[in-house]
Amino acid sequence: MTTSPTPNEMAEALRLAILRADPKLSRFDPLPRIISHDEFANGHCGWSQLVGNYQDDLDTMLPGYAQHTGAMLSTLGHWDSGSHGGMGSSYALKIATRPHKGAQNVAIKRHTFRHRGRIRFEVYFTFKPEASELKLSETDVRSIGFLFDLQAGDNDKGAERVMPHLRFLNALDGKHVEKWQFKQQGTSFRPVGDGDKTLSHYHLSPDGWEDLPGGDQRLCYNEIATKVNWTYLRFDFDLGAMEALDFQCNDRVFDMSKFGSMRMPAMKNLWCMLNFCLFAETDTDKRAFLYVDSVCISGDF
Amino acid sequence: MLPENITSVVARNETWTGKAASEPHEAGWAREAVIFVRALKDPKGSQPMARVEISPDGMRWIAEGAEAAMPSVRDGIAVMRVAHFGNWLRVAADFDDGCESTVLVTIHLKA
Repeated sequence: MTTSPTPNEMAEALRLAILRADPKLSRFDPLPRIISHDEFANGHCGWSQLVGNYQDDLDTMLPGYAQHTGAMLSTLGHWDSGSHGGMGSSYALKIATRPHKGAQNVAIKRHTFRHRGRIRFEVYFTFKPEASELKLSETDVRSIGFLFDLQAGDNDKGAERVMPHLRFLNALDGKHVEKWQFKQQGTSFRPVGDGDKTLSHYHLSPDGWEDLPGGDQRLCYNEIATKVNWTYLRFDFDLGAMEALDFQCNDRVFDMSKFGSMRMPAMKNLWCMLNFCLFAETDTDKRAFLYVDSVCISGDF
Repeated sequence: MLPENITSVVARNETWTGKAASEPHEAGWAREAVIFVRALKDPKGSQPMARVEISPDGMRWIAEGAEAAMPSVRDGIAVMRVAHFGNWLRVAADFDDGCESTVLVTIHLKA
């Protein structure tokens, strides 16, 4: 005996059929509501410079933030082969560090949420060092990664600010490491300026990263510094329990049972915050570039 | 659809001395750029000319031709306008020994 599909099953089948017939969305696996779908031939799509907090004087900004610059719309132009381009257009978002060992840069997209349920963050990305030498340079980029900056709603009991961090540690001090790490150890907040209204903490400091169990992964770096391949990444997070659910990079799905997020008491002006950050870090005195072809952020609501 | 139009802060509260330049900025999508250099603090010593530089690869730089005197007082602003700049832009200035300026450099790009 066969059973007829339920209306919900038919609606889901129809949704998937429409998604998979759309060349722009077919490469993603979004949850039912697409919160944003960013393709960088459409501009920066809200990915702006993560500026540090300050009060009265820009000198009060923590050095980790002071080094940040704005992301660019890039064609991945290379001196030897010209513009590489993205997957579906000429453009990608480019997050570039300064040319000093350990330098970082961060791009941020700032939203709020209306439902505390599952969200999904999907990205096609690649990374390369500046091609300033005729060398493979595969250990010049230290890390690339992402983080969320989240806070519960103002009526939620026991509200916290929660910051899941994940990075791909590509290299450290010249050693090719190639593994995923998370960070749950927070850094202390410091007041900036003379008052106590504004606080700051540099949560991307080099200390406190922990290995994701089973998180070793070799990615497609290619054979010279100017050849790039796009890599898929998916991270699912539950805004209700404020816990990571699932993480995938290309063909690998990782166990997140040991993953932890930075947690801290809720802050007074950040209710329902839903921020996404992408970052790059260099391991040499050479710029590191994180390129992002496209991003799809979706939710189950 | 409206044409793309972006303001990018390429140097913020950076103290420029010696041979100084902003970080390379890719903007091949833009047809024009207006660049402002604001002195955030009182400049020290004589102030050089700031110049726009362009590049074939983001690594090797050549003067584009547009230039302006660096601001001589705090909150003074220099402005340069450029078009036909290819893909990369930056601002550079050469300071004499003992001279400096703490700058905010913004690039305003329009498709």
